[in-house]
Amino acid sequence: MKQPHKRPLRRLYTTAILAVVWIATVGMGLRTLMSYENAPGRVGAIRNAWPAASKISPPIDRDVLVMLAHPQCPCTRASMDELGKIMAHVQGKVSACVLFLKPQFAPPDWENTELRRTAAKIPGVTVVSDVDGIEARKFGAETSGHTFLYDRNGSLLFNGGITQSRGHSGDNAGENAIVALVNDHHSVLARTFVFGCSLVDKARKGNRAQCLN
Amino acid sequence: MFKLNSESSGQESSAHAEALFEAHRHEIFCKTDQLFARLMIVQWFAGILMALLISPHTWTGQTSQVHIHVWAAVFLGGAISLFPIWLTHAWPGAAITRYIIATAQMLMSALLIGLTGGRIETHFHVFVSLVILSFYRDWRVLIPATVVVGLDHFLRGIYWPFSVYGVLNASPWRTLEHATWVVFEDIFLVISCLRSIREMRSIANRTAELEVSERNFRETFEEAPIGMAVVGLDETFLHANARLCQLLGYSDEELAGLNTEEITFPDDIEEARQLAKSLLNGTKRYTGEKRYIQKNKDVLWASRTASVIRDKDDQPRHFLIMVEDITQRKKAATALQQAKDEAERANNAKSEFLSRMSHELRTPLNAILGFSQVLERQELPLVQRERVGHIYRAGQHLLSLINEVLEISRIETGRIQLSVEPVCMGDALSEVLDIIRPLASQRRMQIERNDFVSPETNILADRQRLKQVLLNILSNAVKYNCDGERIAVTVEQRTAHLRLSISDNGPGIPPDKRNRLFGAFDRLGAEVTGTQGTGLGLALSKRLTEAMGGKIGESQPDKGASFWVEFPIVASPRERLVSAGRPTLVPFAAPGREVKTLLYIEDNVSNLTLIEHLLGDEQSIKLISAMQGLLGLELASRHRPDAILLDLHLPDITGAEVLARLKADARTSTIPVIVLSADATKSQIDRLLAAGASDYLTKPLDVERFLKVIDQHLHARAPLVCATA
Repeated sequence: MKQPHKRPLRRLYTTAILAVVWIATVGMGLRTLMSYENAPGRVGAIRNAWPAASKISPPIDRDVLVMLAHPQCPCTRASMDELGKIMAHVQGKVSACVLFLKPQFAPPDWENTELRRTAAKIPGVTVVSDVDGIEARKFGAETSGHTFLYDRNGSLLFNGGITQSRGHSGDNAGENAIVALVNDHHSVLARTFVFGCSLVDKARKGNRAQCLN
Repeated sequence: MFKLNSESSGQESSAHAEALFEAHRHEIFCKTDQLFARLMIVQWFAGILMALLISPHTWTGQTSQVHIHVWAAVFLGGAISLFPIWLTHAWPGAAITRYIIATAQMLMSALLIGLTGGRIETHFHVFVSLVILSFYRDWRVLIPATVVVGLDHFLRGIYWPFSVYGVLNASPWRTLEHATWVVFEDIFLVISCLRSIREMRSIANRTAELEVSERNFRETFEEAPIGMAVVGLDETFLHANARLCQLLGYSDEELAGLNTEEITFPDDIEEARQLAKSLLNGTKRYTGEKRYIQKNKDVLWASRTASVIRDKDDQPRHFLIMVEDITQRKKAATALQQAKDEAERANNAKSEFLSRMSHELRTPLNAILGFSQVLERQELPLVQRERVGHIYRAGQHLLSLINEVLEISRIETGRIQLSVEPVCMGDALSEVLDIIRPLASQRRMQIERNDFVSPETNILADRQRLKQVLLNILSNAVKYNCDGERIAVTVEQRTAHLRLSISDNGPGIPPDKRNRLFGAFDRLGAEVTGTQGTGLGLALSKRLTEAMGGKIGESQPDKGASFWVEFPIVASPRERLVSAGRPTLVPFAAPGREVKTLLYIEDNVSNLTLIEHLLGDEQSIKLISAMQGLLGLELASRHRPDAILLDLHLPDITGAEVLARLKADARTSTIPVIVLSADATKSQIDRLLAAGASDYLTKPLDVERFLKVIDQHLHARAPLVCATA
């Protein structure tokens, strides 16, 4: 008579233990994921003016938006989506250039990715290869998706990421700041975190940038 | 009792409905658990696939490694899914299972949203998940799901506000806005769940009522004390209850599929087929007797009721038959009938014996009475005269005994002939009182007669037999009354009957013997008192009265005895004639027409009066009458009438005897005899016409025919004229 009672009791204990394990595992897993997604990338030395050594033509008659991107980075897709939105919002007031990292000895299709093709399709956007990340270093970008906005005088108005977290589309502070600066010439925000893959190999990584308001 | 049963049935139905509801609900919980178990697996693998397609690697310059999304999809997705999947097997249908599933589903939403980079389309997973969770029809399951969504936003807002709202300082109103959309959907899903529960409960109630009703019917069917079966339209048994199986000796399985004709007595098969046809053609129900052949080949007599069960389109579906075993009843009835036949045969034999014996006794009695009277006329010594007197009185007693025995015998064998017709009660009573008064006077008794109705009132009876009954009762009153006492005769109306009561002041009838009053040969102890009697008078009176359609009985007065007879009151022939507006004779006295003589032999004064009334104004007819048969024969010989009207029931000899003597006498043989009788049986008519009657008229008289017949025999050349009154 006691045997039938034992089984449900044992099952109850098992369930309770599994529930605790489950809550802990899932909690930890989600926390890890969230931490990863919300961990900003590193930034290099940022100059307040257009880098003189850059081979990219400086702004002449309008503001210029420069984005440094890794062609293989899945997180930069979100940045590219946001770039498309920005370009739509500013409508010809800004010329944009996306510099895609291209290792010197990489095969030709290494940079010919869907991400590059998407960037090329955005009106007003020029796509350029950045061999070995030379231009990125000149601009001070170490994380894919790092975006810079310069006025026609070559002064840096904004730099940072245009996604709210790693690979996360949607409204974000960077996008809003750029649009406001171009359209209203004013924004309370001049810097944001950059979320994306690293443009620099581990050996050459600099210090992690701090979030700036 | 009915109300009690109804309440009991209601409680049973309610409890059963609750059980059905819970079972249905549990089934839904289990099925939805299984649905989510499968969905969890699909979502898990879908998450892995998405991660592999969207973000397989993360890059650091020129080097890459597996993206954390892939690991998250594999391990975190697995961790989220496996525990609820295990619960669906360990605790299927349990509340904890669906609450964990709801939590896990929302966590899976969070994971998938993360894997797709927060695509707005992936957020639909949250809303779709809530809808799928509502499949449980348990609104409570939406609570943990909503809490998880809220908690997700709340914790992200605290720890990573940028990831949720795109701003570093998240406003609490944003949390509220996001939660409101979820709650908005929850409201409608809760309404949907509650409505579903109501519908489920309603279905459960209806199903429970139906099942309880069906179970009650099935139990009634199974436990019915009579055999019941459902029979297909092809006459094969579909289902039989225990009682029918017991009656037929077959099991339910053996009967199922058996054609009813296979166990029907061969002689009854055709009738059964016709019955089935008539039921299919619209006869609602049929009850009749049928014989079945039991498994042990015995015959079962059954009272079978059959009806057709039809569907909603009135198309026949099957037969319902109810079978009651009447074998014992049939056997008893057969035995009873045999016993009755045997008793009747014995009674007839007894009556026949009595009749023959009585006749045989009358022959020597004739010699005894005859010679004793001869001896009385001779000069005999006193002693011898007294002895002869004893012989004569004993002979007379024996004769009356024989006569009464013969009468009873005739009644019992149905050979007594009665002429039931309107009789004037006053006249009949007067005649009887005239007979009995001298006897009463000898014992100084007074007879008081009280008529509370008209003396002309007619009753329906046989005149001679009525007088015989009254004479019997009155003679008893005289015999058993005390000397010098009085006898009261009362005539009164009792609704549609006339009651004649005869009371005396004698010792009366002991209460314990009253039930034996009308038994034959039972004198209730009077045989020891010296009062003469046969013990047959009242028995004979009862049989005669009832044979005439009357009643006889005894009431219990304070003193003495009181007997009564009742007969239905009828209109006298003359009243009937007038009320019917029948033709009456218009006096027809054609000049020079010969006067004809008509003799009417009839003892009933009412009938005589009627004929006198009909022919009274006809001057061409001379009507003479006789109230006894012998007197009629004498008048016929003397007057040689042109025609004779003859009643068959006469006080001295029968009408048939009168007819026979008229035809036997050369002086009267040619006179046409028209029989007037209440007996309208064909055999009687044929017998008398064969015996020489010229015509036969039945009572009550059809006056037109009567006048035609009279005219035919008296005035063949000059018909009587009739006119409507």
